[in-house]
Amino acid sequence: MIRKAKALFTAWLSHMTIYRAEIIIWMLAGMLPLIMMTVWIGKAQAEGGSTGGFSSSQFAAYFLAAWMSGQMTVAWVAWDMSFAVRQGTFSVKLLRPINPFWEYFMQHVTERFVRYPFVFLVVVVGVLLVPGTVLVKQLEHVVVYFFAIILAFIIRFLIAYCIGLACFWLENATALDELYFVLSIMLAGTFAPLEFYPAWLRGLLEYLPFPYIIYYPAQILTGQLDWTQMARVLAVQLLWVGVFFVVYQIMWRLGRKQYGAVGA
Amino acid sequence: MKFTRLISIFMGASLSLQLEYRANFVVNLVETALRLLGSILALSILFGDGKAIAGWSFPEAMVVLGVFTFFDGLMGMLLFPNLSKIAEGVRTGTMDFVLLKPIDAQFLVSFRNIDVLKLPDVLLGVGIIIWALNQTGTSFFQIILGIGLLLLAYGIVYSIIFMLSTTAFWFVRVENVTELFWGVYRAGQFPIQVFPGWVRTVFTFVIPIAFITTVPAQAFTGQLENSSIVWALGLSVGLIALSRWFWRFALRSYTSASS
Repeated sequence: MIRKAKALFTAWLSHMTIYRAEIIIWMLAGMLPLIMMTVWIGKAQAEGGSTGGFSSSQFAAYFLAAWMSGQMTVAWVAWDMSFAVRQGTFSVKLLRPINPFWEYFMQHVTERFVRYPFVFLVVVVGVLLVPGTVLVKQLEHVVVYFFAIILAFIIRFLIAYCIGLACFWLENATALDELYFVLSIMLAGTFAPLEFYPAWLRGLLEYLPFPYIIYYPAQILTGQLDWTQMARVLAVQLLWVGVFFVVYQIMWRLGRKQYGAVGA
Repeated sequence: MKFTRLISIFMGASLSLQLEYRANFVVNLVETALRLLGSILALSILFGDGKAIAGWSFPEAMVVLGVFTFFDGLMGMLLFPNLSKIAEGVRTGTMDFVLLKPIDAQFLVSFRNIDVLKLPDVLLGVGIIIWALNQTGTSFFQIILGIGLLLLAYGIVYSIIFMLSTTAFWFVRVENVTELFWGVYRAGQFPIQVFPGWVRTVFTFVIPIAFITTVPAQAFTGQLENSSIVWALGLSVGLIALSRWFWRFALRSYTSASS
């Protein structure tokens, strides 16, 4: 088991290292939180330093943390699977003595190692550009963030994987993934800290997975939550992991019977 | 008038090809509606306290969003389906056939395909502009001026994306470059004045997004300064000329793969 994991890890790490340039471009294409950061800072400056209780540097801390969380939870597995199913290459993966889930999972995990140095660089530049920005107040928050972001990534990955499995029935699941992506941009806290959202929407969001992928991890890193609140966030994240893991198991069992093996 | 006749032939051919995939039409429409809903949500959150931002009221900012959606659709409809094929042509060598045809090659690679699925996006953008202008009030002259600036803005968008795609002659894989432009273009859904100082400078002079969405919107709402018209005209004509030159320059590097 450990041997398999190690083999997958080293193989995918060297594979992902080749795509350095592409990873940087994908990273920059997801700049929306940074654009929103400058917009909110502009608004805060125009209103004499702060708006809605947030100062420029607080906006900078939130959006940099939110952007980093977004970058660390990117998942394109639905797109990859959809492609593999249509091309028939998914059949090959099914024949291997290991669940394709783990192969895709490792592909995403190793990509984080290649991506993170660049993400970190952008965050450092962001902190330096906006005077007075304190991204992390206490070191404990980094530790909690580390767990929160891992759980957030697993939630996002499981959702993407379930969407990918939908192509056993739909042949092409990329459209579904696009829809998810658009929804998540809206609801995860990319536009603004959720404090600024209308109250009815804010209440609704508590019952959806989106804020637990970007908003809450960002809040944890910037030290906006106390210990009980952080514990609650981690617990709800675990719950979502459980929910989507069950959905994945069900879809996986039913889906394999559906699989048409294009081109075989 | 050879060119207009050819464009209508191209449109007919693309349309009949795409009608094969009618299901995509619905999915794309849902996606566009959702994305638009997201942008409106972002704007309404930003204007949640009812204050004007950098001199822009909510309906005025909606005009900018309308222009943004309009160009977003137009890019998807006219530019990306064509210009993404330049890279393919260079890689596989099929650019030969384009260059051998008895018509201007830049014209052919720019207008051959049209993605009719994106037409609703364009119309949605127009709809938002009309709705928002109803709130702010406008005049006949301002509408004419606005349409004129939209045309100039289209020249700017076209030239930038065309030149980015033409780098395919050297780099071969450039799909991601247009992706990058789109990432930056998203900033255009906000009036340029809401950005703080140096960011505004970048979006005006380095990547001229201000002239694509904000300036036409200002023309519609009657806030345009005369100097902006001159700048937009100069930039648009200059960039189109530059793209023309760049295309010829790039062709010299074409080695015609596999032939």
